[in-house]
Amino acid sequence: MISPELKLPSYTEQSPEVAARFARLNQRDLILDVKRISKRFASPQGAVTALQDVSFTVHRREFLCVIGASGCGKSTLVRILAGLETASEGELLVDGKAVNGPGPDRGMVFQGYTLFPWLTVKENVMFGLKMTGHRQAVAESEALQWIELVGLIESAHVYPHQLSGGMKQRVAIARALANQPRILLMDEPFGALDAQTRAQMQSYLLQIWKQVDITVIFITHDLDEAVYLSDRVLVLDRNPGRVNELLENPVPHPRSPRQFLSPEFLAAKARLEELIHPPGDSTEEDRLPMLRMTPVGDEVY
Amino acid sequence: MAAREQESWFAVGRSLSRERSRLLMLGSFVLPLCLWALIAYLPVWDSQIRLTLSSTTESDAFPTVYVPGDHMASDRFAAFQEAVRGDNAQLTPGITPAATRRTNKRILRSLAPIAVTQGWLTADKENDYAALYKLWQTIAEGAESAPISAENQRLIIRNWAALRNVSPHYDSNNFLSDPLAQLIPQGQLEVKRPAFLPAPHEVIMRGWEDFRGESELGELHVWKRYGVSLRTIALGFFFVCIVGVPIALLCGTFAFFSRLIEPFVDFFRYMPAPAFGTLLIALFGIYDAPKVGLVFLGTLPQLILMVANTTRMLDPALLDAAQTLGANRRQLITRVVIPGILPNLYNDLRILLGWAWTWLVIAELLGVKAGLTEIIDTQGRRFHFDHVYPIILLIGLTGFLTDQFLAWFRGVLFPYTEEGASASARGAARVLSKVNPLRLRRTFQPKTLPAST
Repeated sequence: MISPELKLPSYTEQSPEVAARFARLNQRDLILDVKRISKRFASPQGAVTALQDVSFTVHRREFLCVIGASGCGKSTLVRILAGLETASEGELLVDGKAVNGPGPDRGMVFQGYTLFPWLTVKENVMFGLKMTGHRQAVAESEALQWIELVGLIESAHVYPHQLSGGMKQRVAIARALANQPRILLMDEPFGALDAQTRAQMQSYLLQIWKQVDITVIFITHDLDEAVYLSDRVLVLDRNPGRVNELLENPVPHPRSPRQFLSPEFLAAKARLEELIHPPGDSTEEDRLPMLRMTPVGDEVY
Repeated sequence: MAAREQESWFAVGRSLSRERSRLLMLGSFVLPLCLWALIAYLPVWDSQIRLTLSSTTESDAFPTVYVPGDHMASDRFAAFQEAVRGDNAQLTPGITPAATRRTNKRILRSLAPIAVTQGWLTADKENDYAALYKLWQTIAEGAESAPISAENQRLIIRNWAALRNVSPHYDSNNFLSDPLAQLIPQGQLEVKRPAFLPAPHEVIMRGWEDFRGESELGELHVWKRYGVSLRTIALGFFFVCIVGVPIALLCGTFAFFSRLIEPFVDFFRYMPAPAFGTLLIALFGIYDAPKVGLVFLGTLPQLILMVANTTRMLDPALLDAAQTLGANRRQLITRVVIPGILPNLYNDLRILLGWAWTWLVIAELLGVKAGLTEIIDTQGRRFHFDHVYPIILLIGLTGFLTDQFLAWFRGVLFPYTEEGASASARGAARVLSKVNPLRLRRTFQPKTLPAST
């Protein structure tokens, strides 16, 4: 929780540069149009509504973060966007065309790396290219470019089990990008990494995003990560999953870890915190039913 | 106190050091051997006579035919000898001269086993009367007689004199028609352990002789039988893989086939495969085919269920990832499912090969007995377990060594798995990829050339 005594600007206040950037962004083509998507699951306890009437749009080369408390349907949403699950209702337009089912226009990076263990780094990155019918030589040179881009050219002939978590995730990103998708979907991609690697990966991702014609939809539950990376943040409610707010991030570009303590950053983060944990929502249930087990007078504070 | 705290041998959930692991592995083989030796050599077993030279007697007390190698209690052996001596005291010709000649020929032959063990006669000459004639002459003239008792030496001289009077060389048209004296049975006093418990040294010696084709197994040549058994296993296993793996892949990949096929297979699994033995004979005759059929039938249900399960265990996230990379349904199967399960499929097949071995012995009893089982069965029925155990050990050792090799080879084929990390496997994988880069690597990494640097 950010201390309430701290005087923060409103998260809606945008500096002229940021406002101009959003104006430019909104001029861009719509790449993704999500129209009133709902998802219901049958479960032993009866039907569960995971998502209800989720609508939003994403412009080309935008970086959208999706956050929400656990169980709000973030992962379901991104799987529907990827085509791995079908929505119960609603429509999904990519470049104005309705899609259903997975396709190479929407690449995805998973939390669990999902590299093919029987293929080397290079062969993993070549996988999508070969699925989409590229010839061996073309696929190979393309793949090597992407591997170079994520800084792993030294490890091109190594099997995934020999790589660290961060390296694996870089391969996964290269593999997704090699297909030149319109949209890169990332489902908590850095969730399994330690804090240091995660910070490094965030910086890598921003660099890549800047250099590549790619629109990123990034699922996370980490508020810092969301504010650090995103142009806009989509906040999902829980039970049922609904769009609560689409927040325009006031933190200016280029981003750097120093901004974590800037007023805009803290303002945006405070707002997200407020949306996900509304004040007065969960004070009672967070208390453990603890009994005093120490002698009286032996207080720690 | 030691400078460094010694790790306990019994730490819960900890692995042992390399040296200790090796020591225990050795122990796991040595301990059962020691137990066997301990029981076999304990001085609790009676001594008995093992026949080296046998005869027949008219006496009603000995209605069975004893052959060299059979055991008798000492007193019974003495009675046996006495009975033969009694027969010799009142030699009676047979009903016809031909019958007498037959008996005489048998007496000639009775010297053969002891001569074979002495190396005076080769095993294939046991029924060669010309050679036997020569043998009798040699012994009668006193050239070789060490293991022949003085009593028998006298009988041999006496018999030889009678034989020589008719013809000095064997002539089937001119053979003695007067009765010859039976040789008196000879034997050696041996510790008589229960038939099922031959001593280790006996099994080793017998195994050595059997495997070199020098024993009384005769036409049951071990290596030839071994080849037959290996072929049965190989064929059965080959067919079961050809048929079972595709079915299992379908079941593991598509819920449709899983629901359609697996319940019946699960039911079929509980019907003992040998119960179909007669059916297999009716279908395939009595020679090799029903045996291969039983190995097939016994292994197939296990294979389908096991491999289908392995296929289902493939991380579904890999399928998700492949789909987002543009793989269609066919590519999902050929590029993700199959290569993804190969290391585990290999392991399953390794285990199933062991399973196939367990069916072998039952399979080889179907129709005309064949393979190593014929030795086990015929020798086992005669309680010659000193011949049976080497064969069983041979089967066990074959299975064990194959398994150990295949486990190691997995690391060579699949260098990206945990076993692939072992240094020897890595080395072999490198060699293999150089020796035959196209074919071997192709098999497991479709359409991918080996790393060029």
